[in-house]
Amino acid sequence: MIASIPSAVLLGVDGRPVSVEVHVSNGLPGLTMVGLPDAAVRESRDRVRAAFVSSGLPWPRRRITVNLAPSGMRKAGAGLDLPVAVGVLVASGVLDAAAVAGLAFVGELGLDGSVRGVPGTLVLADALACHRLVVAGSSLDEARLAGGPCVSAPTLSELVARCTGRRPWTEPPAPPPPGDEPSGGAVGVQAGDLAEVLGQPVARRALEAAAAGGHHLLLVGPPGAGKTLLANRLVGLLPDLDIPMSRDVTRVHSAAGELASGAGLVSRPPFRAPHHGVSAVALIGGGSTAMRPGEIGLAHGGVLFLDELGEFPATVLDALRQPLEDGIVRVSRSRGSITYPAQFLLVAAMNPCPCGDAGVPGDCRCSAAARARYARRLSGPLLDRFDLAVRVERPDPTSLLAAGAGEATAPVAARVLAARRRAAERGVVANSQLASRTLDQSAPMDADARELLERQLRTGGLSARGLHRVRRLARTLADLDGAGGTLTRPHVTEALFLRGGRSLLLGEEVR
Amino acid sequence: MSGARSRDEACAAALLGLRGMTPVRLARLLDGMGPSVAWAAIGAGAHPADPTRRFAAEARRVDPDDVARRYAQADVAVLLPGRTGYPAALAGDPGAPAVLCASGDPSVLEARPAVAVVGTRSATPYGAKVAAELGRRLAAADVVVVSGLALGIDAAAHWGALAAGPDAAPPVGVVGTGLDVPYPRQNRALWARVAAAGAVLSEAALGTEARPLVFPARNRIIAALADVVVVVESHRAGGSLYTAEAAARRSIPVCAVPGSVFSAASAGTNELLVEGCVPVRDADDVLTAVALARQGRGKSGPAPSTAVLHRRPPDGPDPVDRVQRSVWEAVDDTPTTVETVLLRTDLSLAALTAAGQELVDRGLLKAGAGWWSRA
Repeated sequence: MIASIPSAVLLGVDGRPVSVEVHVSNGLPGLTMVGLPDAAVRESRDRVRAAFVSSGLPWPRRRITVNLAPSGMRKAGAGLDLPVAVGVLVASGVLDAAAVAGLAFVGELGLDGSVRGVPGTLVLADALACHRLVVAGSSLDEARLAGGPCVSAPTLSELVARCTGRRPWTEPPAPPPPGDEPSGGAVGVQAGDLAEVLGQPVARRALEAAAAGGHHLLLVGPPGAGKTLLANRLVGLLPDLDIPMSRDVTRVHSAAGELASGAGLVSRPPFRAPHHGVSAVALIGGGSTAMRPGEIGLAHGGVLFLDELGEFPATVLDALRQPLEDGIVRVSRSRGSITYPAQFLLVAAMNPCPCGDAGVPGDCRCSAAARARYARRLSGPLLDRFDLAVRVERPDPTSLLAAGAGEATAPVAARVLAARRRAAERGVVANSQLASRTLDQSAPMDADARELLERQLRTGGLSARGLHRVRRLARTLADLDGAGGTLTRPHVTEALFLRGGRSLLLGEEVR
Repeated sequence: MSGARSRDEACAAALLGLRGMTPVRLARLLDGMGPSVAWAAIGAGAHPADPTRRFAAEARRVDPDDVARRYAQADVAVLLPGRTGYPAALAGDPGAPAVLCASGDPSVLEARPAVAVVGTRSATPYGAKVAAELGRRLAAADVVVVSGLALGIDAAAHWGALAAGPDAAPPVGVVGTGLDVPYPRQNRALWARVAAAGAVLSEAALGTEARPLVFPARNRIIAALADVVVVVESHRAGGSLYTAEAAARRSIPVCAVPGSVFSAASAGTNELLVEGCVPVRDADDVLTAVALARQGRGKSGPAPSTAVLHRRPPDGPDPVDRVQRSVWEAVDDTPTTVETVLLRTDLSLAALTAAGQELVDRGLLKAGAGWWSRA
């Protein structure tokens, strides 16, 4: 007898529907699994058999063949335990095929027959939207975020009882319509308040501009200047994620198995801070079968913070360039390619030189050659992506003792939100996305400002791409100050200053 | 007695607050006349030192009792020459303020030697360290540290004096703004600490904002209060040389801390040394100078030459553009980070960078990566 049970497996950040076909026939007793299962899937036959025995269900003493269709695609993960078990139940006649009609199953089985949740439930539920999905009780909240009908069963025997109608599906109270009300799930570290940052007016301004305009930010300064402290506070300045973005972020985190149970949609921008020992695959995403999203995928919609940027391997850093430009990552392996969303705000911190003290001339003990070598760790194209590159100084002790608390997060976040609204009126989420050809309408300049930029272009202080970036940044700075319309010279000089660039690392004289 | 006295103080405070009042005009109005008498005469338009009656109309509108209440609320005492609390060191001074405001306890100056520790606002770490060390050791030796509560050396000296603990001599600050207008804002906490431990003095009325000229005028009071003036670091033609000049005129010994000949922040002090000022390395050297000064009080030795102190007007942008001028003044001869300039000027970053770019274009500033220096 044959049964076909709908389920799904995870590939990147997408669910792929899989049909689990089970055939029970006469022959030597045993279970064969075909259809490119990976190790975790193949092990399911032992888990399923043990679960049957523990649940008091009859294990057919016949030949069982399980096929995972489409059979050309690799399947990974333990989520196929449950559909395999249901398939065996139907194929061996314990369950009527009609009893499971219209149902899809995702879940892992314990040896005692309990049903366990699997990572990526939200994404898998999306892929199975036309079925009524049966998942583990712990995954029910996450599955509901997909919007389709879903139910849960605690154990395999309870599942049989519910499918045959001997017990009701205990429907927990109807959830709030998903998406309308992100319930405030936050990912990553809890952001501290900006009030804890004393002094640092330039770095604060840069942080505000980064949050408002989506401009990538590089903080350069000696150890102990407060670079990490500042970066950790950036995420608090960002507005809540909008609904589509919130869904995207939740999907990625679900696929990576990093979604907290019961937290609902992720509504706050995520904050990811991988250590500089991170491998290229861990940063970008990949892996042989499931192609798990990497750190930049998990930072989608939020902040990717790379502390000690100079210590990251050059190959890892250069892998960031394409995602920074396109907002997506394409991971290609021999078995196929996967695309993840990766629109994130890159914030990096590094020391200006090996000894860490370089700033104004004379502060540093490193030779010019050593400093140049240190600066070369960042490729020019990567450095060019940073619209904001500012020095963070150690606050001098007098002002540390004398200054009161700095401006708190809330008023700054309000300015950021207002600036983002202005950007939305121009049709973009943030000014860093303004298209170059529309800059003349969105960021017009007065003659004075234009003359200054022309001079910078002529003297080689600015590239053509840099010119556009300066205009976008100046637009953001003007928006933050509530100055709409034409850009004037002060905001352009400020943008040029905050851009800093490579000379910041070398400490060289600009002119 | 106390009624007449408080009336005098109220009238003095009211005089101080009249629009257009300067220390010189005030001294002239109160020359040989009690404040309440002078107040009545001005109001009546009959004061001999106010023939144009420039203050008469305003004086009629102001009630000295209201003014006195404001001072009482701000916990600011009004000190008059010859009355209790007025520093004895100022009594015989030709430039003594006719009215002095005090918060804290000005009597800490009595029966203790006083040393003025002054210097540049843009101190190097070396200068700040020396100033803090001098402040701490002098205060511990029961010497009142007098300074101007400005950034840099002044602040370091006062923080040092405060660090000497509650048993040490309390510090005294002399400021140019009103006592309710802490300036610069970064020193607000220091200002409060100095007032709580010792005293903060000012010859400006409450509410007086910072203006360029009040600070050199304030320096003469610092010099007059001190037995010895120590200049820790000063740029060539720096503001603390005003204090040195004022001290030299009063035959008060001026000491200077030697610095590197390559350091712009020590150019002024090194020049003082060349001119014959006493070099000091630490508090012991200063204490020796204090002992000598107190011994020979009245019979002053050869005063340091003041030739160096005749300032040539500093180069820089036209004073017409006030923003550029203030930016230029906030930049040192040595590289100064833009953040430091931002803190010194209180401008927005946009306005600051625009003015800085202008100064660079005019060749007055050199720009580096995140810093400026004077060209």
